[in-house]
Amino acid sequence: MIRFDSVWFSYNTKQVLKDISFSMHAHEKVAILGESGEGKTTILRLILGLIRPDSGHIIIDGEDIANKTEDELSQVRRKFSIVFQEGALFDSLNVKENVAFCLREYTRMSEDEIDKQVKELLRIVGLEEALELMPEELSGGMHRRVAIARSLAACSEPKMLLYDEPTSGLDPVNADNICKIMLELSRNARGSVIVTHKVFDAMKVADRFIFLKGGMIIFDGEREKLIHAPVREIQTFIQELNPKP
Amino acid sequence: MITEKIKELASNLQDFYLLSMRGLVGIIKKPFYFKDTIEQMDYAGAGSLLIILLVSLFIGMALSLQLSAELSALGLKMYTGMIVGISVIREIGPVTAALVFAGRVGAGMASELGSMILGHQVDTLRVFGVDPIKKLVTPRILSSLVMLPALTIIGDAFSLLGGYYIAVFVSHQSGAFYWSSIREILIFDNVFAGSVKPFIFGYLIACISCYMGLSTKGGSIGLRRSTTRAVVASMIVIIVSDFLLTRILLYVLGFSV
Repeated sequence: MIRFDSVWFSYNTKQVLKDISFSMHAHEKVAILGESGEGKTTILRLILGLIRPDSGHIIIDGEDIANKTEDELSQVRRKFSIVFQEGALFDSLNVKENVAFCLREYTRMSEDEIDKQVKELLRIVGLEEALELMPEELSGGMHRRVAIARSLAACSEPKMLLYDEPTSGLDPVNADNICKIMLELSRNARGSVIVTHKVFDAMKVADRFIFLKGGMIIFDGEREKLIHAPVREIQTFIQELNPKP
Repeated sequence: MITEKIKELASNLQDFYLLSMRGLVGIIKKPFYFKDTIEQMDYAGAGSLLIILLVSLFIGMALSLQLSAELSALGLKMYTGMIVGISVIREIGPVTAALVFAGRVGAGMASELGSMILGHQVDTLRVFGVDPIKKLVTPRILSSLVMLPALTIIGDAFSLLGGYYIAVFVSHQSGAFYWSSIREILIFDNVFAGSVKPFIFGYLIACISCYMGLSTKGGSIGLRRSTTRAVVASMIVIIVSDFLLTRILLYVLGFSV
């Protein structure tokens, strides 16, 4: 489904990704871990073609997307559902309008049908009552849940679900709720990529872990291997799993 | 180092040109975002009206006061209305309205789009297959193209009213003569010269502000930077383009300098 071949990427003079190569299948649940500024979100943006690599190839379903036009990329993006950091809800629209955005934009559904669909999606994320609220009236957890509902409305049958820091800044209860929703949505062998620095949450939703350090992949493997990886940076990072008294 | 800077400048100019052209073409190309355009018109037009009225009124009064004082000394006080009228309609009205528009609406556009960039809302639009230029830039260009000329006309009227108040109640001139002087200068050449400018200023302000907003990088400091740049660049461009337009219009309309 997704393959990175020797991808290099820089912002101005800062080299963010250095020779990144990996591949993942559509049914895999992958967590990309690393400290802030290590290029985790950059990988998601590269997958969606929102930015172009300096060099290397990004292959989605056998097609190199590095040189595709914006119109061609929109076909690629339809394969994914994405929840950006902090939800990225449209400030000027209420919850219902946010979730209905793509339904209004791309379907010929009547207002009644849109209403029904929006309510169903909000039920899935447990926010049936928030229909008329504006984004500024929502808590951090509600923001993410509305964003998940909206991403599902945008792409009803995504091949993979992408999440950018879905639980950052949330209390443990809300973070756990979001993890449960992500797990629920990943059923039916639907894969997901979660970018996070919260190992505890990543462990709940992913089977495979990619660890970035200094713009390079220093670990790529399963849960047990991650926990016992003989790499100091990783051990420091996963201390949250076994906090010292 | 210098080569890099030149390359960056060329690349920025190219991006600005593309955004301006695509934003303009979007007006006649589907899909149309009527709701967004109406919202922008409300923000740009109705929201700026009071400020423009106030600024225009006092500029007209100040201009009339200065002219009355100077012309009285020369015994030419009766020309106050005519000079106020020509100055306001051809020059001061369009420039004042544009500067106020840039300060209020341009800054608003840049900061709103900048926040959308930082909050990944523009990325979200792209992922949803929505062209951010069509959805965000075109409605702002269209609203500026409609609202700035409208605001300029209303502002001109208030400047002339301010001028009238000073000429009649402070300088003790004849009100009927003031308005007849204004009517005399309301010929095609003057009205045309004053009407073309707001369209061009509106287009430039919208394009510059949207470009600066959509180029925002680097958190709240980046947002501050792009908003400031939008206002400063718009103001400089208004003043420079006003000079160029005046030169061109005088030539086209056959005025000798």
